[in-house]
Amino acid sequence: MANPAPKRYAMVLDSRKCIDCKACVVACKAENDVPLGVFRNRINVEREGAFPRLRVSFDPEQCHHCDNPSCVRVCPTGASLQREDGIVLVTEADCIGCKYCIVACPYGARFFNEETKVVDKCTFCAHRVDRGELPACVETCPSKVRTFGDLTDPASPLHVLLSSRRYRVLKPQTGNGPQLYYLY
Amino acid sequence: MDRRLFLQMVGAGGLAATSIACPKFFGKGKAAAAPPPRGIPTTCELCPNKCSVLAMVEKGKVHKLNPNPENPKSRNMLCARGNAAIQQVYDPDRLKQPLIRVGARGEGKWRPVSWDEAFDFAAGKLAATKAKYGPEGTLWSSTEGFQEVFFKNLGMAFGSPNILRHPSLCLASVNLAYSMTFGTVPSFDLQNAKYVIMAGANRFESFITPDTMDLIGGVMERKAKFVYLDPRFTVTASKADEWYAIKPGTDLAFILAMIHVIVREERYDKVFLDQWTVGFDKLVDHVAPYTPDWAEKETGIPSADILRIAREFADAGHRAVFYAGRRSSWYQNDFQMRRAQAILNCIVGNWDREGGMVPNRKVAKGEFMFLPWDDPKAPRVDEVEKNFPLASAKDGVYLPLRENVLKGVPYPVKAWMIYKQDPLNSVPDQGKTLKMMEGMDFIGVVDIAMSDTAWFADVVFPESHYLERTDPIEVMPGIWPAAVLRQQVVKPIHDTKPCLEIAQGLAKRLGLSDYFDYTIDQWVEAEAKELPVENGLEHMKKHGVVAFSEAKYGTTRNAAQRFVTKSGKIEIFSERLAEAGHDPLPVYAPPQQPPSGRYRMILGRKATMTHAALANLPWLHEHNPENDLWLNHDEAARLGIRTGDLVRVTSTAGSVTIKARVTEEIRPDCVFMLHGFGKKSPWLRSVYNVGAADSVLLETAWDKVSGNAAMHETFVNVVRV
Repeated sequence: MANPAPKRYAMVLDSRKCIDCKACVVACKAENDVPLGVFRNRINVEREGAFPRLRVSFDPEQCHHCDNPSCVRVCPTGASLQREDGIVLVTEADCIGCKYCIVACPYGARFFNEETKVVDKCTFCAHRVDRGELPACVETCPSKVRTFGDLTDPASPLHVLLSSRRYRVLKPQTGNGPQLYYLY
Repeated sequence: MDRRLFLQMVGAGGLAATSIACPKFFGKGKAAAAPPPRGIPTTCELCPNKCSVLAMVEKGKVHKLNPNPENPKSRNMLCARGNAAIQQVYDPDRLKQPLIRVGARGEGKWRPVSWDEAFDFAAGKLAATKAKYGPEGTLWSSTEGFQEVFFKNLGMAFGSPNILRHPSLCLASVNLAYSMTFGTVPSFDLQNAKYVIMAGANRFESFITPDTMDLIGGVMERKAKFVYLDPRFTVTASKADEWYAIKPGTDLAFILAMIHVIVREERYDKVFLDQWTVGFDKLVDHVAPYTPDWAEKETGIPSADILRIAREFADAGHRAVFYAGRRSSWYQNDFQMRRAQAILNCIVGNWDREGGMVPNRKVAKGEFMFLPWDDPKAPRVDEVEKNFPLASAKDGVYLPLRENVLKGVPYPVKAWMIYKQDPLNSVPDQGKTLKMMEGMDFIGVVDIAMSDTAWFADVVFPESHYLERTDPIEVMPGIWPAAVLRQQVVKPIHDTKPCLEIAQGLAKRLGLSDYFDYTIDQWVEAEAKELPVENGLEHMKKHGVVAFSEAKYGTTRNAAQRFVTKSGKIEIFSERLAEAGHDPLPVYAPPQQPPSGRYRMILGRKATMTHAALANLPWLHEHNPENDLWLNHDEAARLGIRTGDLVRVTSTAGSVTIKARVTEEIRPDCVFMLHGFGKKSPWLRSVYNVGAADSVLLETAWDKVSGNAAMHETFVNVVRV
């Protein structure tokens, strides 16, 4: 039997539904044992206006699992790699902690983990995805901001959203081909 | 540290899922895909919503909690707190064994003791109090929880009338107002509502429940219009279609003006009102003076907007709701404000309709039959029957109770047992609560962490964490009702006991064992027998929940329906209120406004904490390291205060020092601080002496009808230190 066509994992975010409740951030910490003070995912907050004309926006962000990840290109050891399904990972054993990738990432998605002494980042919970589960942040989200799935599957909810709604990606000019899609 | 050594260490400890599994995760696609691990179903305890969770256990340790999609009431989610519950179990500061105080109260000198010694000590003190003052000389206060029943039962079996539960610090006023109107407290069908008005119940920020998810979905997918009133720009305000920074304490004026418009323009549901209600004719005359122009002067909301909102609300008909939700009492007229909400909902005919207010359904369960005890001989010390005849006598009224205990009337109360509650932080005026504690001959606390109140106790009984114990089956009424089981997931890691066993240990020494002659398994088995599912107990152990996922509307809209009210109908005009000396229809009286140079102190919660608890957990604390005082930009400029400056905040009850946050996101006449900081217990190390406790400042005031603590009746002045 021929190998099935490779999947391409991505995430759609409906930020308007985000209430900055931090469930995704804490779930990620629990699932991935992320140390205190550093984060694999975050919620960007922007406030503007004067009383009583005020506005605030919440935009969750993490590794964009780019199509052409600059972090992978600059890695001198091959520790930063991209799987066939698009997920960008760091092989702990191969990482020498040079931090080039941290600088090369346009999204500030990577950090140095002082406990493991290697570079750390969102893995889209590849270990869960490989078991057929959702990433922890997606599963736990109370207001269901996040949709995770396979871009190559036309039946996936992610595909349906991207084919029916307007969306944007962050910093498209970098040419990285980010795979977090933000709905308008 | 050598990295290989580190990995060995974490591997041996069974910690750090990432590290252990990383050869598999990062094996360049070579890892074999394992089937999804199915966790042990149980029920979260970190807030009152009680979501269903699946606990993932590895080598006897819980390493992750995932949402259990089988319970519609938890909407397949787990909030930040739910996720952080693991940290409570493995918290190094947790209560690990019984403690008896050796120094002065609050000095923090403790002697770890055996359970036998702790039980003997506490039972001796309780027996001595009983001998001197009678069983009514003891007070048993608790907050809600699945094992609260055992604590309460111990107090009752002991013979005390003074069982004090949390509602009068919570939603006693809303429950009473809806009960007085409809004979029951309904749920709001936010999943199907088309027009939602919410006043201050900050549902997108303070508390995460199905209503949060339904409303955010409804609003953002443009299925519902959402109008929000709050003096503060909260997350909920930011998501609303319209936000009004209403003048504090004037919600009732806004609601009465809406009713005025709907009545004047005859936009009400006449058929519904004729068939199901009494007193609408009296309402017509009653609301005549409450015009939108009048309400504009009271609330600061333009009359044109009030008029338009009233029309839009009525036009949405039975899919329009003025949402009660969870929110404590803020003013001494809170009951009447809630009554006005209930009446507004009633006149548009949203009762028991899809998208409206729906009476709760319940999942049936069995009851464990235990030996009953005699009713207490003495009346309650809070004199609830005399002073709050409509309020729930079995729950009591917290603040009036404290006043009486401090005065020693009608009789002395000298021993205080506390379960799972932190009165020093949850009850306004900490100074008075401390005084009440000083007057006690004995204080015993059951908790999982060293709360401030536990810190001032004589004996502390450490309870097992929810992941370490099995609790009674809990019925959760609602539009989508459920019954849930909390079952033990891991063995207790410290020398702790579930509340039932603590009650039994004391009961044995107090000669009350006959009333507690059962195990938790027997109790749960009896309950499971009558669940509407085959092999109830087995089902609950396997799934954690039995629920009805189909909503049912209109069951009370039949000719034979008799509402549990005096008239048997929905009561717009309430004779029972008139008989009890209260306004039978809600009458508006303008709230007192802060004098020049003072501000109204307003409160709020954030869903990374539950009330005053959980702020200490590192995963939650890192998002809220410290609380601060929100102060409007213009006022701060006048006072010469900048963000980060230390300010002294003073009320007639007390004074605190706290950092200022200068912001546009609050009205100029209010200040705000987040609940749950400024702790006195060093065993809550992240929040010990960090920020300030609002309970120090809050003055004693209560709602006149329900006795519910009124939390927004305090004025403060603010000075730069």
